[in-house]
Amino acid sequence: MVREVLVYPAPGLKAVAAPLSAIDGVAAGLAADMIDTLRSFPGCVGLAAPQIGVALRAVVFDLSGHRKARSCHGLVVLFNPELVLAEGSEVMREGCLSLPDLTANVRRATDIVVRGLSRDGEEIVIHADAFEARVILHEMDHLDGYLFLDRVASLKHDLFQRKVYR
Amino acid sequence: MPHFALTAIGEDQPGIVSAVTEPLARLGCNLEDSSSCILRGHFAVMLILAAPAGLEAAGIAAEISRYTDPLGVIVTVRPLREEAVTASAAPSHLLSVYGADRPGIVHGVTQLLFDRGINITELNTRLVGRAQAPVYAMLMELALPAGTGSAELEADLRELAGRLAVDVSLRPLDAEAL
Repeated sequence: MVREVLVYPAPGLKAVAAPLSAIDGVAAGLAADMIDTLRSFPGCVGLAAPQIGVALRAVVFDLSGHRKARSCHGLVVLFNPELVLAEGSEVMREGCLSLPDLTANVRRATDIVVRGLSRDGEEIVIHADAFEARVILHEMDHLDGYLFLDRVASLKHDLFQRKVYR
Repeated sequence: MPHFALTAIGEDQPGIVSAVTEPLARLGCNLEDSSSCILRGHFAVMLILAAPAGLEAAGIAAEISRYTDPLGVIVTVRPLREEAVTASAAPSHLLSVYGADRPGIVHGVTQLLFDRGINITELNTRLVGRAQAPVYAMLMELALPAGTGSAELEADLRELAGRLAVDVSLRPLDAEAL
């Protein structure tokens, strides 16, 4: 089911999400809703559970066919993700469904290893780079209540997308 | 050569910069630094120019006005103190403040910064979000005076943010090394 995406200042977006205690039917339902919601936005490549109002540590991402992606693991649901390794750094522009109309340049690691639990409850380890790494880090930030505005690298670059005023 | 700071602001349209710079070129002024932006259809530019000896701010402004008045553009020119030309402090931190829009966010934050002798070197704000729930996002670069602890400043900002019901984060400025 496509869920409503919370838009800041919805308080859930600034809270720390709790780990899932079991990968059960609730987790499966959450994953299905997150995938449906992700798919409902053209161009959306990642979503975190707090964005649909669920304070649990779950992220979904799908870089399939994305021109900025290098590594690409297809559609991935990750419960209780943990960052194992982060290397490199790069500044790139990001946006977020929960902060509409804004983009900003954010510095992120370029090579990461994350581990977490799959929809089957099995531990999976993902080595991601370039845009996929950025998306995973952005979604994991949501689990700790961080938005990209908390990560802006510098104002020296073009900061905001120009908003169209009607 | 004496330096001047020039500002021009008016409704955005083609020809503002050319109208400002045509008389400057004729007067033999050299444009050194400039920055411009457009906000909601208004264009503003600030220029630092070096002028031949003998020219005064009022004379330069009067000359430019002949070109810019028909465009409805307001121009100001003021002399720079030479010692101020390179005196601006380098920014050291980036501050994000965002939250549901309400009056007093900018003033509350900037008063706190002023009370601690902190200079704002760049400020960008945007009003975004849905019409029924507008969100104010403000990003600024700050020059913290020597001896100002960023941890203490961040704690003070968080306390203020709680009262203003906004979110803040402060971090060292990204030092670009290319």
